[in-house]
Amino acid sequence: MNMKKLFAIVAIVFFAVVAIIFLRHGSEISESTAKPALSKVEGMVVPRRIVSLSPNLTEIIFALGLGDKIVAVSSDCDWPAEAKDKPKTGSFWQPNTEVIIASKPDLVVCETFLQHNEAAQVLKRAGLNVLSLRVESINELFAAIRLIGQATSCLEKAEQLDEGIKEQLGQIREASSSLKRVKVLWVIQTEPVRVAGVNTFVNEIIELAGGQNAIAPTGDQYPSISTEAISGCGAEVIIQSAMGTQDMAKQQESAEKFWSRFANLTAVKNKKIYVINPDTVLRLGPRIGQGAQAVAQCLRQKDLGAITP
Amino acid sequence: MTESLTQTRLIIRLILFIFLLAAVMFVCSLIGTQKISLSSVLDGPGSTPGTNTDYDIFVRVRIPRIILAALIGAALAASGVALQAILRNPLAEPYVLGISSGAALGVITAVSLGSSITTRINMGSFGAGASISVFAFLFALGTVWLVWLIGHLAGGSGITSLLLAGVVVNAFFSAVIMLLISLIDSQQLRTTIYWLMGNIGEKDFSTLLTSAIFIMAGIFGLFTICQKLNVLTFGAQEAQSLGVNPRVVTFAAFALASFITAVAVGLSGLVGFVGLIVPHSVRLVLGSDHRQLLPASTFVGAAFVVICDTIARVIIAPAQFPVGVITAVIGGPIFLLLLARYSKKIGYQK
Amino acid sequence: MNIEVKNLCFAYKRQAELIKNISFRLARGSFLSITGPNGAGKTTLINLLSGSLKPTAGSITINDAPLQSYSIKELAKKVAVVRQEFVPVFEFSALQVVSMARTPYLGAFAFESEADQKAIADALEMTDTTCFADRALNHLSGGERQRVFIARALAQDTPILLLDEPTSFLDLNHQVKIYDLLKAAQLEQGKTIIAVTHDINLAAQYCDQILLLTGRSYISPVSQSNIQNEQNYYVGKTQDVFTQEQVEKVFGVKTFTGTVGQEKFFIPLGKFAKDTTQIKRKSNSIQSK
Repeated sequence: MNMKKLFAIVAIVFFAVVAIIFLRHGSEISESTAKPALSKVEGMVVPRRIVSLSPNLTEIIFALGLGDKIVAVSSDCDWPAEAKDKPKTGSFWQPNTEVIIASKPDLVVCETFLQHNEAAQVLKRAGLNVLSLRVESINELFAAIRLIGQATSCLEKAEQLDEGIKEQLGQIREASSSLKRVKVLWVIQTEPVRVAGVNTFVNEIIELAGGQNAIAPTGDQYPSISTEAISGCGAEVIIQSAMGTQDMAKQQESAEKFWSRFANLTAVKNKKIYVINPDTVLRLGPRIGQGAQAVAQCLRQKDLGAITP
Repeated sequence: MTESLTQTRLIIRLILFIFLLAAVMFVCSLIGTQKISLSSVLDGPGSTPGTNTDYDIFVRVRIPRIILAALIGAALAASGVALQAILRNPLAEPYVLGISSGAALGVITAVSLGSSITTRINMGSFGAGASISVFAFLFALGTVWLVWLIGHLAGGSGITSLLLAGVVVNAFFSAVIMLLISLIDSQQLRTTIYWLMGNIGEKDFSTLLTSAIFIMAGIFGLFTICQKLNVLTFGAQEAQSLGVNPRVVTFAAFALASFITAVAVGLSGLVGFVGLIVPHSVRLVLGSDHRQLLPASTFVGAAFVVICDTIARVIIAPAQFPVGVITAVIGGPIFLLLLARYSKKIGYQK
Repeated sequence: MNIEVKNLCFAYKRQAELIKNISFRLARGSFLSITGPNGAGKTTLINLLSGSLKPTAGSITINDAPLQSYSIKELAKKVAVVRQEFVPVFEFSALQVVSMARTPYLGAFAFESEADQKAIADALEMTDTTCFADRALNHLSGGERQRVFIARALAQDTPILLLDEPTSFLDLNHQVKIYDLLKAAQLEQGKTIIAVTHDINLAAQYCDQILLLTGRSYISPVSQSNIQNEQNYYVGKTQDVFTQEQVEKVFGVKTFTGTVGQEKFFIPLGKFAKDTTQIKRKSNSIQSK
């Protein structure tokens, strides 16, 4: 066996393997980029045991009046209060498939990002009904509510819920339409500074509430931006999402301290820095109207103060 | 080590190891966050799905994980043995020649591409992990070949040049990785880190079957050159005097080891320490004869990862650790002990 | 198994030519000693003969077939090499090391047959290493390790043996034992043996042919002048090569030489050697020069 022969064999094997992998996974890839799966859910009666793997989806299910049907939720589901007492399926990022299967659900709702998708595949192989929903914009929220309504045979209630939210949002939009656009910088984290860009649902809320993103369109949804860019953005209001809901006052204080170095910004000069509870605003769920309202208040508020919706 | 290794003796020992592995796999399949009973599992699936959850959990969650854990452990341990032999270095491990940074780069690339495609075409999560696997595998393998090429162009077939090429490539790729990390958002970052920390997920049976075939074929290939690996540890000149072509054997071992490692990494990310400490530990007990060391390490490696994965699943239930954390926590101290023991011997290397 | 070397030349990369046009012929069953000053190229020559290095010019033929025409495996069945001191990175027992000699003969799944086991056991016995067959190589003394490697070469069962200073770490007893062993292999089994050695007395006693490499130029400790050797090697029968004149010229030392029976000896005389013009007559067979 000399080198040339060996090299040839290895090269052939390598390409064969690559071909096999692509042929197999090619179909998987196209499958999973298709519309969110709704397997075996049509034609179902009202499910009796529901598992939810996302806090916003949990809120939707409760809003549809099906809270008592929920048998397990992810550990970060905390609203309404009853959700906190439900058995836990592990964290949002790592659903525990064993616990989920053992809860014998007849419907599992989850989102579509990687970790949930992988869990969904396992659960489907185990024969469970899984509804995977992509909820990354306000329109997708409405669609998700409808899909859940369909799957749980409460389509009417779902459409009502949708209407309710649309009305809330509509009112806010109207109230702010006549007023001047306020430049808003929405800060996700401060070390390093990451903001919500233009392609996010947060931006939708900002615009709805009468604001305009201080940052120009970027490729990334949540880009980190340089000190220069911050100084030059001309933000009139800075909204920062809190980390958890403890010590809001303290967070407000440290936020003001942090932003004091950007003294040239209108927002800093007018002391329009708000640390906001993320639960209603950053959670695309039924309470989004409240969140939008809180944002609108921030934009129009004359004096500073922590906003709790 | 007292008598020479005969075929019968080896086969008996290996059968013992297989039984041990099977026992470990069986016991661990009954351990998890949910209590399940063997009798209900044996009752088979219910008439409608969802009635016998013990069976469902066992077949859809436990068994795939156990099988995958065993495959990963086997692949990494075997690869570790082979690389330690051809690099003549007891500190070598499967990721040393660029696989770790290559895989990381592949994962980040897949994750980054995913999001940009998403924003432009709005297609939902890119490929649900399948494409990340493919990218990780291809980049890992590609990087290893790059290292081999650079090593050869730089300094002939010496192992020093190979190791140096590995260091250089790792350093360069790490820089690129850091660049990409600064550009991706927090969810992508989470996905990347989750992927790279090494985790044993529940795969479907066809993926498991394909991977098993690849990995076992690779390990079998290594089995056939075991004796040659023995001789190779004495150096290229000595190997040649004993009838072993050092360049061919080094290349073969390198190709096989990197292949099975890349498959393992594609499946479950970077599970560390297995490829380093399992060969060492087995060598301490059974000696360096690769005809025994290689198969024994394969089985021990498989059992080790199965056990670590079980611990990872159970210890903070219902949450779970990535398996790489457990192998590091257990493997780290063991590695330090071995390092202390071997540091005197390393001084003798030519 | 005869060996023929024709016009062999070799130089390491970017260095001056080390092996300059060497030719010699060794019939089957010869015992050749390669000797000469440090840096003369003795180890290089062993590596050329074993196929590890490729000559820059000239040819080496074994049994009338050029060295390159043998596959690595075939060559390993013809030539066994004992190199200088080596400690492996991984622990192998003496028995395992000697067993590796059978690698060229092993089948696909590489397990030693009875014949292999016998060859291994015999080799261990011949070199007096059976008692520490189980000990790891790193736990043996330098001399014991050398014997293990010699055992390995014997277990390889080849018609040609190349040895690079096989007795440098051995005590007198084992030096004699090993050379006796090699001589027996030559006479009884017809092996062709080439051994590099610094001990010219041993070489004189056991070897029937000598290849004396003169090496590069050097400063003679006697005359303190730069000596260039016109001939870069001498080869031939022992008595022809080991003349006092040639030995003194090549090594640049004065020697006291004589014969005991038919065995020649050379004793080097340094600056502080006592006056040797007066020889105490111990026996009639000592003749002073």
